[in-house]
Amino acid sequence: MIELISDRALWNWWSPAWFVAAVVAVLYGRYPGWTSLSKSLWLIAGLSVLVFAFVSPLGVLADGFLFSAHMIQHLLLLLVVPLCLVLSLPPSSAEPAFSGTVDEGSLRKMMRRVMKNPIAGWSVGLGAMWFWHVPAFCNAATENYMISVVRTVTFLAAGLLFWWPIYSPRKQARLPASHAVVYLFSACLGCTLLGIYITFTTITVCPAFASPEERLAVMIALHDAGMTSSVDQQLGGLLMWVPPCSLYVAAIVSVLCRWYAVGEPGEAGLAVTRTAEVR
Amino acid sequence: MSDSEPLATDDAASADVATRSDSAPEPVSSNGRLLSWVSTVDHKKIGILYICTAVFFLAIGGLEALLIRVQLLFPNNTFLSPDLFNQMFTMHGTTMVFLVGMPVLVGFQNYFVPLMIGARDVAFPRLNAMSYWLLPFGGILLYFSFMTGQAPDAGWFSYAPLSTKPYNLMPAQDYWIIGLICLGVGSVAASINIFVTVLQCRAPGMSLQRVPLFVWMSLMTAILTILALPALNSALAMLLIDRLLGAAFFEPARGGSAVLWQHYFWVFGHPEVYILILPAFGMISEVIPVFSRKPIYGYAFVAGSSAVIVLLSYGVWAHHMFAVGLGMGADMFFAVGTLLIALPTGLKVFNWTATMWGGSIRLTTAMMFAVAFLLEFVIGGLTGVMFAAVPIDWQLTDTYFVVGHFHYVLIGGTVFGLFSATYYWFPKMTGRMLSERLGKWQLWLWVFGLNATFLSQHVLGVMGMPRRVYTYADNPGWMALNAFAGAGAVAMAAGTLVMLLNIWVSLRRGEKAGDNPWEGFTLEWATSSPPPPENFAVIPEVSSRRPVWDLDHPDAADGQREQTPADSGWRPDKSITSIWAFVASEAVFFLLLLVAYVVFNTDLVGEITSASVLDVPRTALFSVALLGSSFTLWRAEALLKVGKLSEFRLWLALTIVLGAIFIGGQAIEYYGLISSEVTISDNLFTATFFTVTGFHGLHVIVGLIALGVVFVLAAKQDRHVLHGTTLKAIGIYWHFVDVVWIFVFCIIYLGFMQ
Repeated sequence: MIELISDRALWNWWSPAWFVAAVVAVLYGRYPGWTSLSKSLWLIAGLSVLVFAFVSPLGVLADGFLFSAHMIQHLLLLLVVPLCLVLSLPPSSAEPAFSGTVDEGSLRKMMRRVMKNPIAGWSVGLGAMWFWHVPAFCNAATENYMISVVRTVTFLAAGLLFWWPIYSPRKQARLPASHAVVYLFSACLGCTLLGIYITFTTITVCPAFASPEERLAVMIALHDAGMTSSVDQQLGGLLMWVPPCSLYVAAIVSVLCRWYAVGEPGEAGLAVTRTAEVR
Repeated sequence: MSDSEPLATDDAASADVATRSDSAPEPVSSNGRLLSWVSTVDHKKIGILYICTAVFFLAIGGLEALLIRVQLLFPNNTFLSPDLFNQMFTMHGTTMVFLVGMPVLVGFQNYFVPLMIGARDVAFPRLNAMSYWLLPFGGILLYFSFMTGQAPDAGWFSYAPLSTKPYNLMPAQDYWIIGLICLGVGSVAASINIFVTVLQCRAPGMSLQRVPLFVWMSLMTAILTILALPALNSALAMLLIDRLLGAAFFEPARGGSAVLWQHYFWVFGHPEVYILILPAFGMISEVIPVFSRKPIYGYAFVAGSSAVIVLLSYGVWAHHMFAVGLGMGADMFFAVGTLLIALPTGLKVFNWTATMWGGSIRLTTAMMFAVAFLLEFVIGGLTGVMFAAVPIDWQLTDTYFVVGHFHYVLIGGTVFGLFSATYYWFPKMTGRMLSERLGKWQLWLWVFGLNATFLSQHVLGVMGMPRRVYTYADNPGWMALNAFAGAGAVAMAAGTLVMLLNIWVSLRRGEKAGDNPWEGFTLEWATSSPPPPENFAVIPEVSSRRPVWDLDHPDAADGQREQTPADSGWRPDKSITSIWAFVASEAVFFLLLLVAYVVFNTDLVGEITSASVLDVPRTALFSVALLGSSFTLWRAEALLKVGKLSEFRLWLALTIVLGAIFIGGQAIEYYGLISSEVTISDNLFTATFFTVTGFHGLHVIVGLIALGVVFVLAAKQDRHVLHGTTLKAIGIYWHFVDVVWIFVFCIIYLGFMQ
C-alpha cells in the first residue's frame, strides 16, 4: 500500500483534470444565484473526486494496467462526479433551461426536451455503461488517448443526464417518487446484468488490460499477490455490479424520504396528476 | 381479459353468492353451502379457503416433520429407510414453503388488504378465485407423486444434478416440477391482484403514505413475488425440458451446469425468504401499536426500509452458495451485501420496541405472540448475520446449524406473526373471540417447542451433525440433544392442536366479538364482524394513518398531531397496471432464459451452433413482419381512439396476419431443423435455442389469441373493447413480446454477447 502511494510513476500530477476542475469552479463561482454553503460543498466534493480519478494511482492504473482500477474510475466519472455536480446546483440555476421564451434557440429547446424525458436520461446513463464495455470500444479507449477523452466526456454528460430526473434543482422537473424508484431500480438491474456478465464470462472484455505494453513495478507485485488478469476482470465485474446498485438504493432511500416528508405532497400529487393527464 | 370488466358485475356476483349462503333466512341445504364456497369470488371467502387449505397442508407437513424427528430420536435408527427419509425432508420443506407459508399469508392478505384500504373487493375477483384453485391443484399434483411409488427426494431446492434424470429416474421429480409451476403461476396471479388492489382500490383520502403497514408489506411482498417467482419458473421449465425432452441444461456430464441451477434457484430463493417474512412484519406492525395504545414508532422507516429490503433481496442470493467456490471476489461482495440487508431488517426491531415504550400495554395472546416474535426472530436474524461471514458459512453450511437458523426465522418470525394475527383478526373474521386461556397454552407450548427443537439443532450443528442424513453415529451428547429436539417438536404439534381446539370451541360458543373488540385503529374495524359481502355500508373518511382511531377520538385525532402526505385522488387504470406487472414478471422469465443462452453458447464448439444451422436472413424477414405488427397495432389503437371503427378493424386484422406470418416462419424454421435432425436434445445450443424461441413463440400465439378475441368482440360492438382499456392493455403485452424478440434475434441470430 505504501509502495502504491510513494511510487512516483503512479501519480499523474500534470493531468488536465486540474484544468477542467478549475474552469468549472470559476464558472460556478461567477454564477449569480450562488447562495448556500452545502451546495458548494457538493461542488468541492465532485471536483475533488474528478481530480482524484485522474491524478491518483487510480488514474494511472486505470490507463491500461488494471481493469478493476478502470472500473472504479469509470464509476466515479459516470455516477459520483455528476451526482455531486447536480446536487451542487442552486435551485435557480435550472430556471433558464425551463422558462425559455418563444424565440429561444432550437438547440436549447431540444436540450430542454431531452432533460425532461426520463427515458432519455435512463438510456443514456445505462447506454454509456454498456457501450464502453463492448470489447472493441473498451480497447480503443484504453489504447487511444483521444478516444479516452471522448469516453470521459460522454461519461460525465451521461451521468448528468441520468441524475437529472432524480435530483434536478428544480423540483417540478423531478420524477414523481414511484417513477423515480422504478427508474433507479431498473438502472440497478441494468448494471447488475452487465456486472454479472463481466464477472462470469469467459471472454476477455477489454484485452488491452490483459497484456499491458509496459510494466509497472507495482503490477508485478500485484500479479504475485494473485491479481491475475482473470481475477482482475472478475473484480471489475463485481465493481460494476454491487457499488452502483448500492448507490442507486441509497438514492431510492432519499427519494422515499422525500416522498414521506410532509410539505411536498401537494407537489408530488401534482406531478402524479400531470402524468395522468399525459396518459 | 374478462377480469377487466367493471367491478359492479363482480360485486353483484359475489353479493348474489353471499346472499344465498349467509343472509338468506330459509335453511340452506349443505349442497348449496358447498357450492357457495366452491364458486365464490368474494375475497373474504377466498381468503378463508386459502387459510384452511394451508392448515390442511400444515397438518401433513407437520406429520412429515414428526416422522423425521422420530427417525432421529436414536442413533443408528431404522424407523425410516434412507430413501423415505429423503422423501420426508423434501416434502416437508416443499410443503411448508409452497403449500403452507405462502398460501396462508396470501389468505390473510386476501381477507384483510381490501378491508384495510376500504375497498369492496380485490381488483380482479375472478382472477382471485383462479389463483386460489391453482393451490389445491398444485398441492394434489405434488402429493400425487406418492401414488407413483416414491415422493420427490432431491430436497426442497432440488439441486442439480441430483434432480436430473441420470440420478433421479422416478416420475416423482416431474410431479414436483409441475406442481411448483402450478403454484408459481397461482402466486404470481394472486400477487398481481394484490398489487393492483393496493394501487387502485384505496378509499378516498388514503394516500399510499397512509396505508396500514400490513397493506404496505403486502404490496412489497407482491412486488417481490411478481419479480422472483419467474426465476424459479424458468429454472423449472429448463429442468423439465432436461428430464422430459433430453436436454442437458443442468447435467455437467453433458456440458450443462449444476451451478446454474443453484444461481437460478437462489435468485428466487432469497427473495422468497422475504416473501415469507414481510407480511409477518406487517402483522406485528398492526398488533403492537393497537395493544400498546400508540401509533407505530417511525412509520416511514418501517415502510421505507421494507422497500429497501425488496431491492436488496435480489442482490444477495449467492450467499447461499459460498461453499460452491465462486471465487474470493464474489464471496466478499456478497458477504457485504448480506451484512447490508441485515440493517433494514434488524433496525425495525427497535421500531417495534420503541412503539411499546411508554405505551399502556395489554398482554393479550396476540400481543404476547408479537413480543415472542421480537425475541425469537432476533435469534434467527443474528445467526443469519453470522452466515454472512464466509468462513463461518464454510464451517457450518449443511449442518443442523442452518436448519436451526432458518426455523427460528420462519417459526419465530413468520409463524409467530401468523399466530399473533390469528388471535388479533379471528374476531373480525368470525364475530367470535378466541379463548385467551387456551391461547396462552398454545403460546407457551410453541415457545418451549421452538427453542427446545432448534436451539438443540444449533448445538448439534456446531458439533458437526450434517443435515439431510438419515441417521447418525452414537456421538457423545447427540442422542440427548436430538431427543430434546423431538420433545420440542411434540410440544409444537400439541400447541397446534390447542389452537385448532380453540377455534372449534370458539366457533360453537365463543364470546361475541362486536365490531371492534380491541379498539383497533384501521378500517377493518369500522365494519361489522364478520363483514357483510360488500364490506362497508359507508366508507369512513380517511385523513390519517389511523382512521378508526380518529373516528373514536375526534378530540385527539391524528391529523391534529401529525400531518401525513395527502391523497392526490389519482388511481391507475386496473387493466394497464396489471398488464405492466405481468410484463415485468415475464421479462424476468425471458431474461433468465436468455442468460442461459449466453452462458451455454459463449465459446461453444461443435458441429451444431447458431452460425452453422440458422438461416439468419430468412428469420430477419419474418422478424420484420413481427415488428411491423407492433406498428399496425399502434395504428389500430390510435384509430380506435378517434372512433374510426372500420379502419381500426382493418389494422387490427393486419396485425393478426403479420403475427401469424411470424409464427408461420417459425414453424418453417422448426420443420427445417427437425427434419435435418437438429433437435432439442442434441447439444446446449439446440436446447437453449428451442427453449428460448419456443417460449417466445408460445407468447406470440397467446397474443394472437387475445387479439383474435378482441377482433371478434369489436365486430360484436362490445363496449369494453370499444371504449375501455382492453386493447391498450393487450397492446402493451404485444409490444413487449416484440421487444423480447429484438433481444432474442440480436443474441441468438446475430451472436451478440458471445
